[in-house]
Amino acid sequence: MMDVLEVNERAAGGKRGPQTFRSGHPRLSTQNVARLLIVPVMLFFVVWNVIPVLWMVGLGFYQYSLTNPTPPKFVGLHNYLSLANDAGVWWSFGRTLLFVILSVGIETALGAALAFVFWGSVRLPGRRLALTLLFAPMVLTPVAAGTFFKLIYDPTFGVANYIIQVLGGPKVDFLGDAHLAFLSILLVDIWMWTPFMILIGLAALGSVPTAELEAARVDRLPFHRTVAHVIWEHGKFVLILGIILRTIESFKIMDLPYLMTSGGPGNKTEFIAITLYRDAFNNFMMGKSSALALITLMTAIAFTSIFLYVLHYQRERKTI
Amino acid sequence: MKRLLKVLSVSLVSLLVVAAFSFAGGSKEAAAMTSQGGRVDLQGKTIHMTILGIGGWIPSRLGVEMAPIFQKYAKEKYGYNAEFSYQDAPFTSLYQKAATSLATHSQEFNIIISDSQWLGALSNAGWILKLNSLIEGNPTLSKTQWWDPIVQESYQSYPDYSNELWGLPQEGDVLVLYVRKDLVDNPTNQKNFKAQYGFDLPSTFEEYSHLTMDKYIDICKFFTRPADGLYGVAIQYSKEYDYMTGSLYPFIWSSGGQIWDYKTNAVWGVLNTDSNAKALETDVSLLKYAPPGDVDYGIGQVLDAFTQGKVATAWQWAAEGSGMITPQLEGKVLVVPLPGFMVNGKFMQVSSLGGQPWVLNKFNDPAHMQVAKDFMAWWYLPQTQMEFVKQGGNSVVKDVLDSPGFDNIHPWLRAYKYELTTEHSRDFWHVPQYAQMLALQQEYFTGYASGAYHDAKSVLDYIAAQQQKILYDAGISKIPPPTNIANIVAH
Repeated sequence: MMDVLEVNERAAGGKRGPQTFRSGHPRLSTQNVARLLIVPVMLFFVVWNVIPVLWMVGLGFYQYSLTNPTPPKFVGLHNYLSLANDAGVWWSFGRTLLFVILSVGIETALGAALAFVFWGSVRLPGRRLALTLLFAPMVLTPVAAGTFFKLIYDPTFGVANYIIQVLGGPKVDFLGDAHLAFLSILLVDIWMWTPFMILIGLAALGSVPTAELEAARVDRLPFHRTVAHVIWEHGKFVLILGIILRTIESFKIMDLPYLMTSGGPGNKTEFIAITLYRDAFNNFMMGKSSALALITLMTAIAFTSIFLYVLHYQRERKTI
Repeated sequence: MKRLLKVLSVSLVSLLVVAAFSFAGGSKEAAAMTSQGGRVDLQGKTIHMTILGIGGWIPSRLGVEMAPIFQKYAKEKYGYNAEFSYQDAPFTSLYQKAATSLATHSQEFNIIISDSQWLGALSNAGWILKLNSLIEGNPTLSKTQWWDPIVQESYQSYPDYSNELWGLPQEGDVLVLYVRKDLVDNPTNQKNFKAQYGFDLPSTFEEYSHLTMDKYIDICKFFTRPADGLYGVAIQYSKEYDYMTGSLYPFIWSSGGQIWDYKTNAVWGVLNTDSNAKALETDVSLLKYAPPGDVDYGIGQVLDAFTQGKVATAWQWAAEGSGMITPQLEGKVLVVPLPGFMVNGKFMQVSSLGGQPWVLNKFNDPAHMQVAKDFMAWWYLPQTQMEFVKQGGNSVVKDVLDSPGFDNIHPWLRAYKYELTTEHSRDFWHVPQYAQMLALQQEYFTGYASGAYHDAKSVLDYIAAQQQKILYDAGISKIPPPTNIANIVAH
């Protein structure tokens, strides 16, 4: 904030002292007003983010159940060791990582491809309508999408099975079959979030300077080299931002699978957020679930850091 | 800035003053409610009560729908006005809703319709009122006799079979079999069935109450006609809450098995037996005769399949009777006990016990607690119970179940009464760790039902070892889990 104010001051003439309100109150400078205005936001952040996170970190070292009248008992790293030895937690993490890789990977590839299609069709009639329709899934709440698809997938009256049967296929129990449930949920996630990656793709393409594109065209640069040397260079930051956001979202997926399969059949769609939810709000094991929540949070932060590191590393390499 | 600080300071001081006065006023009001013969005097007051119950569960809702009768009763007898509101949540999330509120010592919900297996968790946490002295001191409650000892054991006691009472039965419930009478009475079906299986297609309550599982499976097989959109059975295999567990346990108990030893709290060696593995296999084998997608069926889906005419028989709770027997199905449904097994030459037939107790929030202020206690006493008056039954609820009061014509008030009451006995129904563990134990077995039972695991015995081994660990870690059982627990996996 200081930096921004200083830049503004410099832009306004530089050498003047801190601006004051017209009232001429000497102590109420622009900087002080800015600090004052930021207080509610900081308070909100501290009360609703910092304190709960610190509380959660602390609770992770205690054995504490809401259904047990005994006070929390300090157990050191016991909760973390117990999680490390819990095959169910490892399974949930594995399922979640697989889901993140597949969903983000497919959504990014599809989103980028479709973004190119829409980018090159500015004058196509009906483009706006097509884009609006394409973005519709993204604005649905996951609960609504999950409910729709649960009905669509229904083996007795679902549309999907109706179409399969019309085409001569057998009835398929998409959500009840141990081999299909994961893929069925993945498909819904891709349907919902590919439009977001199209939007990100269009934003990335929009950030490429027209002059450089024209220069590439004049130089008759092949398409793949234009993508690699012109478009990627300018668009990668926006695209990576989209990937980071989708990775974090996918990692914490909860509502879709919980509504569609409750993590089943068996544990085939038991993602880490569902495991965490069960430990915290079904079993009320607050110590263990806090430890798991911290691990989950650190994993999400690690994902973000890896992406940012890759970006930063590439930039450093270019500079050298 | 100074002005702002001044305004803030004045506001803060005013708030403190108002709060102090309110507290003093509240104390004065509390003091005014002096006890009169052990009662809090509520003459002329209006008390607003909130009941938390199960969403979409008819008997649960009746507790509030009948509240106007209590309102009139309380006005006449005690001189206060009681207003009731109802909050609900589905079975799957009701405990969370109750527990998170109670954990903050809130009196948001004055009376809660709990599930029977929660008694341990709720009482252990110190959230609900122990009811022994209320029951002993109240003439209605102390004189009320239950239909069977299983009522107290399942809806009131914790620890199991102790005399520490934490709940009062709001409604009783058992898992029963709904049969399409029009289909089993059909002469063509009768003739074809006899020709195919060599015995008469059962069509009366008496015939079904001695039906063995193998014969029942033949019935399911006979009515499975996918080309006509008809299947033999709808049964719950869903992973949600206790859906599959509730339907599986009758297979285990009726074939002579146990789920644990409540005296020693042993699960290992009790649940994972060959007999129980066979019971699990038999339960899952019924999927062949169920509509596609039954592997995800819960209470609602079974109800839909039956009322839409997709199945000839359905395993469903007696409490769902008024939902299962729609106006279109009136006179076409026979409600009977679940099929049993021959064990060592003896016919065994043990169903799962459902039903819910009332529990009272321990953090109720004296006025709300008094109304809650009055409400409990009113609930067990004979006229209240009879009205409850007429509206579709399942009473557990002996006088009501013994009253002439009880069996015929609703089509499911005969089967309900037959099964609500120590011989014919059982509840599962009430320990505070029930949610953990339930979630674990639901995951693996449904995994087996959906084909994720193929060996029933290994599934039971895994569940038994892990449940033993849960009980041992919680200090409930002195029996440790098997030493090779890390190597016990379901496959």
